[in-house]
Amino acid sequence: MMSQSLTVSASSRKLRRSLPWRGIAIWVIAALWIAPVVWIIATAFKPRADVYSLAVLFTPTLDSLLSAFDSPYLLGARLLNSLLVTAGTLVMAIPVATLAAYAFSRFRFPGGQVGPLLLLATQFLPPVIIVIPLFVVFRHLDMLDTPWALMIANLSFVVPYATWMIKAFFDALPPDMEEAAQIDGASRLRAMWDVVVPVALPGIATASIFCFVVSWNEFFYALVLTRENAVTLPVALMSARTEQGDAWDIMASMGLFIIAPMLLISRFVQRYFVRGLVTGAIR
Amino acid sequence: MKDRYLKYMLLAPALLICAATLFYPLVQSLNYSLHDWSLARAPEPEAFIGWANYVDLLWYDPEFLGSAWVTLVFTVPSVLLTIGIAMGMALLLAGDGRLQINARTLLVIPFAMSPALIGISWRFMLNPEFGAVDAVLKALVPGWSGAPVLADPTLAMMALIAVDVWHWAPYFMLTFVGALAALPQDTLDAAQVDGAGGMRIFFEIMLPQLKPVLAIAILLKTIFSLKMLDQVVTMTAGGPGTATDTLPHMVYSTAFRFYDIGYASAMAWLLAVVMMALALLYSRFVMGRSA
Repeated sequence: MMSQSLTVSASSRKLRRSLPWRGIAIWVIAALWIAPVVWIIATAFKPRADVYSLAVLFTPTLDSLLSAFDSPYLLGARLLNSLLVTAGTLVMAIPVATLAAYAFSRFRFPGGQVGPLLLLATQFLPPVIIVIPLFVVFRHLDMLDTPWALMIANLSFVVPYATWMIKAFFDALPPDMEEAAQIDGASRLRAMWDVVVPVALPGIATASIFCFVVSWNEFFYALVLTRENAVTLPVALMSARTEQGDAWDIMASMGLFIIAPMLLISRFVQRYFVRGLVTGAIR
Repeated sequence: MKDRYLKYMLLAPALLICAATLFYPLVQSLNYSLHDWSLARAPEPEAFIGWANYVDLLWYDPEFLGSAWVTLVFTVPSVLLTIGIAMGMALLLAGDGRLQINARTLLVIPFAMSPALIGISWRFMLNPEFGAVDAVLKALVPGWSGAPVLADPTLAMMALIAVDVWHWAPYFMLTFVGALAALPQDTLDAAQVDGAGGMRIFFEIMLPQLKPVLAIAILLKTIFSLKMLDQVVTMTAGGPGTATDTLPHMVYSTAFRFYDIGYASAMAWLLAVVMMALALLYSRFVMGRSA
């Protein structure tokens, strides 16, 4: 009796003592991970003179942003390319992945789970091994430096991940749903479209957000497959590294546009991107 | 009956895309790797030379072996530090406290940032003249006199590792928070009542139960570290010298700066074989856990 109350009070005392320490540690961690993001965003709004100083207080200006839109950086054109490539990739990938995910989830294939796992395992390959032949093919077809080349290259990672993620959602749905619909006379495809897809919509949304984030951020394929016309935002960052040195104000302005959609849809990103990562096990 | 065809029809578009964008490039790069082919000389693969590229790489190319070593020097600390720090963060950030939940949500933002932007941003902050990191180091480390971090071979590698840890720790933290929440609470309570300290509870009760999750996390992070490339390109471009010239970066520069497609493909395949073995191990783990 006596000793038990002692340990309880001891442990609660320990808990109370550890609380401020814990709180401080959490604040430090949050600062370490958020400060660089804030720093980049702040740099985009700094007057030119303050970019190369550590000024924390400054009068915000749009000068850097405006000059990033000018020649030779053409932020507007790069932004359009990024939007076009990301949208195109999603429009092609999500329906295709939904069909494949449904097939993997509802039918038996020779080899059992080997098919979907193999699909996921391809994502563990280094992207350089994929991009060398793609570069050669696109060069032959005269498709280098076009948005099409990038969309096709992006499909190589978006389709496998999206399929894997959407499959996980289909797996969680009971098959009796479509069976009931089929008994009512609907065809298998009709049942899938009318009954299963609406219920699996959160899964499709998860996959879409995830694929949006990875396509939007994609750097390496775009670096290899574009030169001038189809350059996307992440690759445009490199164009601010000139002979005269790095134009950090321009880079920060471009960075702002790369982060912006993540912040705008951050609630969805947090909810769906992370869930996608946990089911999809990542690029 | 009809389903027999339907299932393959549903799968066909995805298979077509994977065949074109994954399987074809994989087979084709193996084919290239057996040729002596520079894209600067000829648009089509030149002389077939069998395994000569591989023999050259493994026996006669000190630069390749050096790059393999650099990759190892990057991978081992980046994996161990990421997993260790992520676990520490998870222990701090697990639970339903307001501060914890908010901090977890906030930490997703840097992880959702483009790796290229992460590399560029840290390059900016590591600048010895006006970089924020340098200012912080000056304030915290006595005797730090503003070394050009990315111009020093050792410091550049350390910076690359630190940035990689910064990139991945939030993700693994979230995985571990999930795993911690799934631990049975009663054994933890019992241990606490028995007077076990926080350290003992972690090492003797939590850690053994977290082993499968940790194994998968270490394996995944190893694969990610081995294929990490964006930050090398944007932060160090492999330099100074070849101090941060990891294998993916060496393949990239061999293929697209020197257009030595055959040799670069052989290099890529050697790297891919290692990663396929790891991927196989990973699928064993995943299958084993779901079975």
